Amino acid sequence: MTADAHRRRAFWQILLFTAGLLVLTWISAGSVYLVNKARQDSKWVIHTIEVENQVNALLLEIRRAESSARGYLLTLGPEFLSDHDAAMATIPQALDKLTRQIGDNPAQRASIAKLREAIQARLEQFSREMDLVKRGEPDSAAALLRQAAASNSTDAIREVAASMTAEEERLLSLRSANADRSQTLAASLTGIGSGLVVVLALLSTWLVRRSAGVRDDAEARLRDANTNLEATVDERTADLREANNEIQRFAYIVSHDLRSPLVNIMGFTSELEELGRDIFRRIGSLARAPVDGPPVESADVVLDGADKQLAEDFSEALGFIKSSIGKMDRLISAILDLTREGRREFEPVRIDTRELIEAIAATVAHQAAEARAEIRVGELPDIVSDRLALEQIFSNLIDNAIKYLKAGVPGAITIRGRTKFGYAIFEVTDNGRGIDPKDHQRIFDLFRRAGTQDKPGQGIGLAHVRALVRRLGGTMSVSSELNVGSTFTVTLPIKWNASNRNEEQR
Amino acid sequence: MTQPVTIIMIEDDEGHARLIERNIRRSGVNNEIIPFANGTDAVRHLFGADGSGLVHKGRALLILLDLNLPDMSGIDILKQIKENNHLKASPVVVLTTTDDSQEIKRCYELGCNVYITKPVNYENFANAIRQLGLFFSVIQVPAAAS
Repeated sequence: MTADAHRRRAFWQILLFTAGLLVLTWISAGSVYLVNKARQDSKWVIHTIEVENQVNALLLEIRRAESSARGYLLTLGPEFLSDHDAAMATIPQALDKLTRQIGDNPAQRASIAKLREAIQARLEQFSREMDLVKRGEPDSAAALLRQAAASNSTDAIREVAASMTAEEERLLSLRSANADRSQTLAASLTGIGSGLVVVLALLSTWLVRRSAGVRDDAEARLRDANTNLEATVDERTADLREANNEIQRFAYIVSHDLRSPLVNIMGFTSELEELGRDIFRRIGSLARAPVDGPPVESADVVLDGADKQLAEDFSEALGFIKSSIGKMDRLISAILDLTREGRREFEPVRIDTRELIEAIAATVAHQAAEARAEIRVGELPDIVSDRLALEQIFSNLIDNAIKYLKAGVPGAITIRGRTKFGYAIFEVTDNGRGIDPKDHQRIFDLFRRAGTQDKPGQGIGLAHVRALVRRLGGTMSVSSELNVGSTFTVTLPIKWNASNRNEEQR
Repeated sequence: MTQPVTIIMIEDDEGHARLIERNIRRSGVNNEIIPFANGTDAVRHLFGADGSGLVHKGRALLILLDLNLPDMSGIDILKQIKENNHLKASPVVVLTTTDDSQEIKRCYELGCNVYITKPVNYENFANAIRQLGLFFSVIQVPAAAS
């Protein structure tokens, strides 16, 4: 699985999601718009129907006025008169209402003007007829009625009304079609949108499923890799252990085999020294002997001149040889001790660290008093570790602190401790001569020392301490400034488990 | 009448052998010292051609043994001596450079009588040998069981 493919898939998922969102928004907006439009269209349809109604109502009223007028003319019944008056009163109102309703349509406005004119004329005729009837001239009224019928004023009204109704019919069909279209559009829009959303959802599901599959594969591969890694690590660890053991054995054998010839060198050098003394005694006695007499036997013959010089050179040479052998022996012993320490099995026990360090401080109290040094032990965390190793670590560090104090300055040595993430951190701080930063690594190397070489030592202590700390699963470091002091920090696991390190020594 | 003790020295390093002999003599021990520079010869001498150890039946021996021999381990020789009926009563002094506590323990378990580490410091070395000489002069080497 490449990072590129990862990015591509993520991109596709985001794209799908965005597309889905856009489609939804679009559908919602479209639906709202179309529903509004449909409502508008329906309103117009209803309006058209109302106008038609109104036209018919108007016509009806006119007819009512007409028929009641005729009835009155024939019978002179007062009920016809009141009916006629009521119709006459309603007509202008109905006409006004119609005018208001068709105010939006210029064609209808023209028609209504014509209608109003025709109605006006007809109404005047009605009033005149009624006046004549009331004045008792029914014949004149009937003549007027016939005239009115001949003048087609009623027909004109009907025609205009019909044209208006036709116009409204046209509008009705138009508006109905509009409303239909809007509704169909809304429905199809919703349908298409829903379809799209479903398609996108399916696509997303497919993508998610595919990526889940890819992830499962990757997980399986990761598990395999982990298993392999563990095997590899085990293998390497075994190799390292083997190598480490090899080195230990090598160091042990070499130091042993080196010691054997060293015993000879030292032995025969001492014999030679003895021999030399004998030879020079003999030379001395011969030199002092009288020419013909026996040599003087004396325990301490004093040499002089060239003989004395020879004897001194001889013992000087032997002295150098012996001191070198002594040094070599100490180094070999140190290596032996280190390898032996490396082979010792550690035993984890619960340790009261404060008590342990106070015991160490008590054993070095004499040296500390001589160096005018004070050892302060703070609160220390208890740990589970190897007691002997811990004793060696801290007694080495405290010894060093006392050993390398600044001349003439009262020493202050502090041991502090704290815990962090399952580790105990111990700090041994002094106000001694300090260590040059360039030597901070060097001091941990075997047989290496730093600073003024005015104290006896092989350069083993810190190398040994670091080896022990490492075997206990810890680390150590130093921070120091020349002429100010040093702090050695030892970090050890609070609960050291023998099984994880001792195996390495097997 | 006790017969004089014969010292058998198994030491591959000629220098060491010479130094040991010299210091034994200096401590005033004049017994016969038979040196062997390898394990094979020493074993042949100790156990005889048939390997039974009958050759030394009834003879008083003291064995000085180095552990690091070129052809075999001194520990094996020590084991063989202590397992042999005719030789097991002979005192064995292990004199070697090895100062490993495990090794020392092992030798004592196998029946070694004295274990001396050869110190590089010659004075200590000479002292150790001279004390051994003193030890030779006081011990009563028993006649081997018949």
